[in-house]
Amino acid sequence: MTPNAASASSGTTRRSFLASTAVATAAVAGGMPLLAACGGSEGGSREGTTSGKNAKKILPAYVASNVVQPDIPSKNGSAMGFTSKLDVAGLKTSVPKKLGKGGKVTIMSPFWGSPPKQGCAYYTAMNDLIGVDVEWRNQDGNTYDQKLGAVLASSDVPDMVVVPSWNMMGKIPNAIISKFADLGPYLSGDKIKEYPNLAAIPSDAWQRSIFGGKLMGLPMPAGYVGNIVPIYRQDIFEKEGYEVPRSSDEFMAWCKDATNARAKRWACGDMKWTAFANFGVLGGGEKPLWWNLVDGKLINRIETPQYLEAIEWTRKLFAAKVVHPNFYLGKGQIGDTAPMFAAGEFLVYPDDISNWYGRQASYSTQNPDVKIWGMDIWGHDGGHPTLYATNPANIFAFINKKASESVIRDALAVANVTAAPYGTKEWMMTQYGVEGTHYTIKDGVPVKNDKGNNEVINAYVMVASPAATIAHPDLPDYTRAMVEWQQRMGAFTKKSSFWGLQITEPSRYTNLATNFEQLEDDIIRGHKKISDMQQAIADWKSKGGDKLRDWYKKLLDENGSAAG
Amino acid sequence: MSHSTVPRSSAEAGTPVKTAAASGDAARPREKRVTRKLSLRHRFRRDRVLILMTLPAVVLLLIFNYLPILGNVVAFQDYDPYISDNGIVSILHSPFVGLENFQRMFDDPDFWNAVENTLVLFFVQLLLFFPIPVLLALLINSVVRPRVRAVAQAVLYLPHFFSWVLVIAVFQQMFGGAGMLSQLLRENGHDGLNIMTNPDTFPFLLTAQSVWKDAGWGIIVFLAALASVSPDLYEAAAMDGAGRWRRMWHITLPALRPVIALLLVLRVGDALTVGFEQILLQRDGVGPGAGEVLDTFVWWNGVRNQDFGYAAAAGLVKGVVSIGLVLAANKVAHLMGEQGVYQK
Repeated sequence: MTPNAASASSGTTRRSFLASTAVATAAVAGGMPLLAACGGSEGGSREGTTSGKNAKKILPAYVASNVVQPDIPSKNGSAMGFTSKLDVAGLKTSVPKKLGKGGKVTIMSPFWGSPPKQGCAYYTAMNDLIGVDVEWRNQDGNTYDQKLGAVLASSDVPDMVVVPSWNMMGKIPNAIISKFADLGPYLSGDKIKEYPNLAAIPSDAWQRSIFGGKLMGLPMPAGYVGNIVPIYRQDIFEKEGYEVPRSSDEFMAWCKDATNARAKRWACGDMKWTAFANFGVLGGGEKPLWWNLVDGKLINRIETPQYLEAIEWTRKLFAAKVVHPNFYLGKGQIGDTAPMFAAGEFLVYPDDISNWYGRQASYSTQNPDVKIWGMDIWGHDGGHPTLYATNPANIFAFINKKASESVIRDALAVANVTAAPYGTKEWMMTQYGVEGTHYTIKDGVPVKNDKGNNEVINAYVMVASPAATIAHPDLPDYTRAMVEWQQRMGAFTKKSSFWGLQITEPSRYTNLATNFEQLEDDIIRGHKKISDMQQAIADWKSKGGDKLRDWYKKLLDENGSAAG
Repeated sequence: MSHSTVPRSSAEAGTPVKTAAASGDAARPREKRVTRKLSLRHRFRRDRVLILMTLPAVVLLLIFNYLPILGNVVAFQDYDPYISDNGIVSILHSPFVGLENFQRMFDDPDFWNAVENTLVLFFVQLLLFFPIPVLLALLINSVVRPRVRAVAQAVLYLPHFFSWVLVIAVFQQMFGGAGMLSQLLRENGHDGLNIMTNPDTFPFLLTAQSVWKDAGWGIIVFLAALASVSPDLYEAAAMDGAGRWRRMWHITLPALRPVIALLLVLRVGDALTVGFEQILLQRDGVGPGAGEVLDTFVWWNGVRNQDFGYAAAAGLVKGVVSIGLVLAANKVAHLMGEQGVYQK
């Protein structure tokens, strides 16, 4: 992953966790009147999932790409790592002939930051390379869920729409199934070989792209190791002689030692996500991952003692006043924590792994003394942690159902370029822009200039990507550390029962667990009590949780799990 | 241009008025029913220019204000906007669920929590916010030097033009957990304050922010009312030996009374609207237990959870209750001898 990819997914993957409870993976009008009303011609089940034999029929063939051998191959669900210098002269061409037919394709996508103008050098160069006139309709990534619902309900749906899975709440999955095209006729089986870079996308990412029984999404593949790393200020740890804590008790003790409010220093941010990992709470972004089969019975994470223990531990952390006061605020109110972290106002916080590199890279220019690093996730009792896998793809690009075949072909041509692997000219252009205009190369290390930083962010990287890759030639130590962290944590990572499946819950249950994330935060901040959570869990069971359990059990019995 | 044409055309329209009225008068002795009919047609003819002029506004009002009211029908549906590309078609094809949404709402403790918070906030704002612009207006009115007065007014108006995001950020910087005040206290050996994230004092925080932002803006109407009081009255009262307080009690306040009554009626009618953006921005900091009001409840369920039918039901109930409140407050104003918002 490169700086720009990192900036795209730093917002995204982190938010996927943020939105964890709010994400209703599901919601489809299972109601028959609805289907009947719109003709019911769409066939196929809208709720449920597609796996096994049924999935095999529509999944694309996998043709590995061997453009460049990674320095660190993927292991235990990690990304593959590239640490060596970039051989610019040796960049390969993965798309020898432009596949685009010169048509126009409009794409709506979430964007974190301020988008450049349509005719900017980066967009023009990419469009020339693809042979398609892509017109971007970038929308603010932080409020994308609010825009998405309205756009999909309108008659003016763009040719392509990028939808992250954490925005698939409420009735959005329903909208996806009814508004977007079945790509099976273009990509299933050997048909995908027309698009070699798409054919090199791992099958588990395609498996996640099946919506309502059809292959609909163009995925952004991801490793399955949890993406949340406790990031800490290594320079201050060294200066103060702190040891990295190895158990939850040690962490708590260290926090009390390190906090000095009078000097405007607190030990940490909101450690809830890390606590969930420490205590072995089920999860990983989406609601289906909250379920797991234990002794023949499906249990939801909110029913497990680990869940309450993790919340209680985090509550104690807040009560001990070792958390920076700004983290008592709501998510939208905290604002950018990067300057506070750089100023040493707090020393540890959980963040997406891409920010391990991303923040270091931006601090390197602005605050050269700051050195950050990631902590291994500790088991709460000091032993090995029990971690649960995240899904192998969480962002998808869809094509409008009304698009003509030529527009669909052009859209796939876009995806075939953006999915080019590391070491190709297409990858370089997608991630860095045009040499001389957007970046310069010094000693085999590409460095973006201001124009590059302004124009080459988000956009094209959001449409389909190659297999999960971490490649930062400018900070090779960080690249290595990130991949190795994933591999170490991957060794403790288990796949829960519904890992890897794209599941659409029945619409009547989609909002059943929506309020849990808020309740967790309320308890942690002392506004509510653990007993309120126990009440909420009892309500959840009686209001449909138990029925939802039966629904999932049936799904599991019929489909089996993808994790195998 | 239009300024000069408008009066002229109404003046032109004025000519037939008289003839119409005259002919109506002439017809009356003979046949009463016919007269009425004629008079209606004539009245229409007489006012046709005025009617024509109001027509565009009426059409806009119909299209953008009244037509969308029909959309409230989704409150009785399990509305799914994604069935078709057209909102109206989607409404036609969404299944009707009768009063299910309302039933669910009345059983929903979160809804009642939002109602309670809304009412608490309304009363706190009424008590602590409403009097302040009146006092400020009296204060400003007593400033004699025009330049000082202009500067004071400008300073008071200005915060109104700041966005809520900005106002809340300023409050956060000053009073937040790691803000100036708390840090100053800590440096002097005290504990920091928990002002921004304390659910118990949240209504007061919101009111303080509103006062800071909008109290200055609120004085405009009162100042206008004060400006219409004849100085002769004050002079005469002063001649009769009335002191500053007596003049305030017997002249200034009675002059303000109709305006105060009018604004109170409007405020009560708006009781269930206590500020959306300001609260939404700070809702998560105190949790929905204290930070959820009706408007954020509707937003949360409609936009966030896409439970459109349910959100529409909550919005509809809010609208109906608000109409009732306006009517009631207006009635009270009439009983008190004030004009209120409208008269029959």
